[in-house]
Formats: sequence, C-alpha cells, structure tokens
Amino acid sequence: MSVIALVSTVSALADQQSTAQPTALDSPLSADELKNAVSIDALTVPTPGEFFKAIEKGGKPNWTSEYRPPISINSTDRAQMALNLGTLIADGYIAVEAHDGQQVKNVGKDVLALAKKLSVSQSVLARGQSIAQFAENDAWEQLNEELEATQNEVKKALEENRDTDLITLVSIGGWIRGTEVITGLVLQNYNPEDAKLLRQPALVNYLKGKLAALPEKIQKDPLVQTVSRDLDSIQKMVSFSADHVPTVDEVKDLNIAASKITKEIGASE
Amino acid sequence: MIRLILTALAVCLVMSYRCLADTDEQVATRSDVIDFAGAFQNDGFKIRDGNFFGKVSKDHSEVVAVNLYSGNAYWFTASTGQKVEKLKVSVFDDNGKPVSYLPYQSGTRAAAGFSPDASGLYYVKVALEEGQPATFCLIYSYK
Repeated sequence: MSVIALVSTVSALADQQSTAQPTALDSPLSADELKNAVSIDALTVPTPGEFFKAIEKGGKPNWTSEYRPPISINSTDRAQMALNLGTLIADGYIAVEAHDGQQVKNVGKDVLALAKKLSVSQSVLARGQSIAQFAENDAWEQLNEELEATQNEVKKALEENRDTDLITLVSIGGWIRGTEVITGLVLQNYNPEDAKLLRQPALVNYLKGKLAALPEKIQKDPLVQTVSRDLDSIQKMVSFSADHVPTVDEVKDLNIAASKITKEIGASE
Repeated sequence: MIRLILTALAVCLVMSYRCLADTDEQVATRSDVIDFAGAFQNDGFKIRDGNFFGKVSKDHSEVVAVNLYSGNAYWFTASTGQKVEKLKVSVFDDNGKPVSYLPYQSGTRAAAGFSPDASGLYYVKVALEEGQPATFCLIYSYK
C-alpha cells in the first residue's frame, strides 16, 4: 500500500523530470560516511505523531483508552519538568488522534504551565493560543502540525535560554510516553505488523548517548539516573532483529517498563 | 512583572538574533524545499517540522541518520535552491547498504520515496552529482 502511495505522488510530479522506478543501485555507504553520519533531534528522533500515524494503518485505535490521570506539574526540579513536558506533548498528540478538543485544551494548559516554569512560555504562548483555537474548531490536521511546532518551539527556546541539556530530556519524555501508548494499543489488539513498530535500537542508543553527554549536575539528578537505568532495559527490549516479531509477552514487558518510567517522571517530588 | 517583561524582551532579542543567524542561502533553500515538498503534502504526506542544512560538493556528500516506522511511507526531499545542479537523495539501511527507493531528480531539487519493511535506523544521503558546491536543506514527509 505504501509503495502505491509513493508512486502516486511521483506521478503528481510528472511535469518535472523524474524516475519512478524503485532502485537499489547505489554503492553502499563507506565506513567513513557511516561514522560521520549526522544525528540531530529534528530529524533523527521521530515525533510521537509519526509513531502514532504508523499504528493507525491497521485501523483506528482506541486512543482514549490511553489517556492517563493528570500529572503533577508542581515539581521544581528542572530535569523532571523537561521530561514531563515531553510526556505532555505526547499526550497532546493522543488527544488530537482521539479528536478530543477538551482534552487537547487541558493538555495544552499543562504544557504552557510547565513551559512557563522553564521560562520558555513567551515563545510558546502564541502556539498555545492557536492550539486552543484549532481545538475549538476541530481542526485536527492543523492541531497535529501545531503540536509539532510547539515541541520545536519549546526546544528552540530552551536552546536560546542556554538550557540545551533539557532538550534531550524533552525528547526522551516524549518517546517514552509514545512507547507506553503504542505498546498499550498493540496489546489491546495484537497483530504482528503493529508489534514490529517497536523495533528502535538505534533510537534508544542515540537518546542514551545524549543522556551520557549531559553535564554532571543533571546526570546526578536522581530521576535522570533512574530514567537512564530504565532506558538500559528498554534498549534490550527494542533491539531485536528486523525479521523478529515481538510476542504478546514481549510487548507486555515493554509496556510495563515504559509505564514505569512515565509514572516516575510524572510523580510528585 | 518587570521580570516577565525583561524575560519577554530577552526572548525577543535572542529570537531576532537567531533569524539573523540564518544565512540568506539557508532561508532560500528551506523555502524552496518546502515548496517542493508541497507536492507530497497534496498527496496526504505530512511535512515534518524539522530540517537539516548541509553543504555538498562533488567530492563531499552528507549522510543523516533517521529512525523510521514500518508501515509509514516517507519522502526525503532536498534542495539547494540555486543554480542548475544535479542533486541526489538516496536511502540506506542501518548497515549502510542501499535499499530500494523511488528516486526523483530535477536540477537543484531531489527526493527519495521509501517505505520501510522494518522499523529502525536508516541513512539518507544527499550528494551533488553535477555543479558547484552548495548549501542544501533536507526535510522529510510521511504518511
């Protein structure tokens, strides 16, 4: 189905020069090219929305079943706030997928409150207003784009506030919550195609590498230490060969591990 | 209140600095690649709000790591936004081996359409086959 999707798009470019035949005639990448390959959050870490789009291929999942109770946003620990921000942005995507305007607004409010505590609220304030407006108008596609833009805006503002270290934590929070949701949905209606989505060894490795590069002060944060340790076990669970299909029990183990981290991130101090 | 105003001013100043920091070349390439990807958007592809700027010459290409999901379809699009060159975008698996993808080439613009069978790490290479060294912008779309 996906190949058909690609070919139809190529035909949309028919007025320009193009080759619409699949190809694999390129030379393999050299060792140097592999070694020097660029990894950047903006392209290397998939958004929760991208993760969620993949699971929708098998039918509309029951998104509301993956809601969670409101989390505490009273923490004064900046690392926890950044991790929480990531999980909340993922919650925003879930609400959008569920076409639940009120939930989008609730989550948006929490995102703004946390952003304010991290001193990035000025730049995301406008986004927050747009999110509320789009939710009011049931503009789901725009909401999806707005959420992604908000996530980038938060990261950009953190960078500008010289809080670049927290960007990694926002990405990790988002990915962990996304994994909890996807595994939860896979378990509700197990099928091999959906289970295969969980293979992401390089991504966890990348996130762990970013964690290891954080300043000592953040690395010593008890929550960051716990997340880092838990990511080790998660890495093993998502590091299976391309032809392996995770069993129900394997998906369950991953769901338990991701839920555990999400709860730790969302817990009161 | 004063603190809030000062913070707002600081953010505005930093934001303007950031805009100035983008070169005209980067602004042009980004604008062109988004225009190019619009064709995919019309076909239901969503453009990811993220990009990578790099420099290519005949003897230097750039490789970017991406993590993809099986079941999704992707278009990786790049543009130099200037001159008449032959840009190329290609896709490789996690071992650096070429995979089967749909190539598209049109002077300063190039794209690769790819639907992964397995989720995980892939590499996207942007190379210049003909022309002068140039700055390019790479983005991707998915559905």
